[in-house]
Amino acid sequence: MNKKVKTVLGPFILVVLLSISRYLFSSKMTFITEIAIYSLFVMGNNILYGYLGMVSFGQPFYLSIGAWTSAIFLAYIGHNPILAMLLGIAGGVITGFVLGPFFIRLRGDYFALINAALCAIGVFVFQKLLIGITRGEDGLWFRTQMSRVRLLDIRLPNNFFFFVMIIFFIVLVLYSHMNNSVLGSSFKALKVNERKMRFLGFDTFRIRWIGFILASALSSLSGSLYALNLGFVNPSLGETHRAAEVLVATLLGGSGTVYGPFFGALGFLGIKDLVSRWVTRWELVVGVITLIVMFRFSKGIWGGIRKVSLKIYDRDERSAGRCGRQRS
Amino acid sequence: MNLNLWITSLVYGLSMSGVLFLVSVGISIGFGLMRIVNMEQMVYYTFGAYMAYTIVTSTGSFLLGIIAAVAVAAALGIIVETQLLRRVYSREMMFTMVVTFSVFLIGIGIIQYIWGLDPKPVASPMETMIRIVRVKVPLYRLLIFAVAILVYIGIQLLLNRTIMGKAIRAGIENPNNVQGLGINIYKIFTIMFVIASGIAGLGGALYAPLIMVGPYMGWDMLLFAFITVILGGLGSIKGTMVSALILGQVMALGGTLWAPLAYIAPFIVMFLVILVKPTGLFGVRGTAFGFES
Repeated sequence: MNKKVKTVLGPFILVVLLSISRYLFSSKMTFITEIAIYSLFVMGNNILYGYLGMVSFGQPFYLSIGAWTSAIFLAYIGHNPILAMLLGIAGGVITGFVLGPFFIRLRGDYFALINAALCAIGVFVFQKLLIGITRGEDGLWFRTQMSRVRLLDIRLPNNFFFFVMIIFFIVLVLYSHMNNSVLGSSFKALKVNERKMRFLGFDTFRIRWIGFILASALSSLSGSLYALNLGFVNPSLGETHRAAEVLVATLLGGSGTVYGPFFGALGFLGIKDLVSRWVTRWELVVGVITLIVMFRFSKGIWGGIRKVSLKIYDRDERSAGRCGRQRS
Repeated sequence: MNLNLWITSLVYGLSMSGVLFLVSVGISIGFGLMRIVNMEQMVYYTFGAYMAYTIVTSTGSFLLGIIAAVAVAAALGIIVETQLLRRVYSREMMFTMVVTFSVFLIGIGIIQYIWGLDPKPVASPMETMIRIVRVKVPLYRLLIFAVAILVYIGIQLLLNRTIMGKAIRAGIENPNNVQGLGINIYKIFTIMFVIASGIAGLGGALYAPLIMVGPYMGWDMLLFAFITVILGGLGSIKGTMVSALILGQVMALGGTLWAPLAYIAPFIVMFLVILVKPTGLFGVRGTAFGFES
């Protein structure tokens, strides 16, 4: 199949399936919306963890940057939710652009922990320092401030669902394009052997910087969608606890793949939903699942699906006598 | 600000330094010797605090509580090290980080399962106040610091004066060579790990009367402990002690000036230190720990 067609077709099928399931399980609509929003967040973390090989314990900070930018814009300045979302993304891009050069020259655990520190500082800033603007623990409510957008009135949950689906589709297409492009290959090569990469003449610093900016932009997009979905934001959105969740979701789905983050978000939120119905102690379950995934299924859910499908595909191909062709 | 406030803040800072040192020494050893980021140290800390709570409320003896805390923490350390961590020593740092983090989550889950979610108070073991220049300060806080100093001296003696300490220091330099000399490095790993987890349990038990014991008490302490280790430099016990002293005072001073600063000041310190000098105060340069810095 043509690569360009494949880039668009995969996301299209996924979004159509999601839209169908919205009508099949109409009571689960908000849950599906949340999965789509959460998978954007996981996709951001996946660029760092899966492609670049950097663990970050502070991704919720970038999420809260997007959420707060949109919330503050809607509550005090304007009324247009689309503009608020774009501003949220811009906030994430600027944050990544400014912090990038300082952070990405650090390695491994330093990078993880400076992000955790940043996350704690972020909660402090939004909770205590800017209490006049953000209303502290109470959260900032702006549901009534949102105005009607011309084509799609996204204040209604049903329309918001389709709005999220459109964004999810666009981001997935771009993501899968990135995966196939030189940039995605450079990310993966960087993870395997940075020194060799530099030796070949690539500016590894800049590649990593771009990855960092992309990750923080995706996280903040997810954050501002969260804000628009809930109609309010409070500082608990950026808490350090959430950093663990997004890492687990990334691993669960299969890191370093295009559709892994979606299955990770689906699996993680689904397990959390099911578990919290019976037990309130989700930490135990999440911890055990992570250990099992780390030791037994290092490719995650999507890796498992692909393995099975490749086997079937291979059998077909071998019978057609076209074996040995390289697939992505 | 008057003298009273300063001295109280100083004593508070010293007790905080003691706890920080006890909790983070295990992480420092893990970095230096086993080259893993052992985030599950906080499980032992939390278990220590809970054991202190259980024993103190049932028997009333704080000393028994401390002994039980150290014993349980060390036992947990043996289980985790021999069953799980031994499989991940050769993996990359990112892998061990996520694995130990999930052990930490499992630990929190088990604690919630046994003791429930609500915070528990631990009775204060002593009410004695002593006088320092007209100011009354609680003796217990000073005792915590004294215990930390004793532990520090003990570890230094173990590392510098015994034949096992020599093997450990050689193991930090190059584990393969030590293995080649016929010393079982894995046995040494286990011994050090058990010592480290016991000390973390001791820290939890000592700190328990000063705070409310809750299942999430490890979360904040995890970050503080890492700040201590990183500020001091990876794998340096002396650096860990010095940075614990600094951070304890930073927290106490921050809390005296403006209450929320007590929580956030260490993060700001860590943020600045990592940006300016990523090797920490006593860190070693070179590729020793997988970093090129």
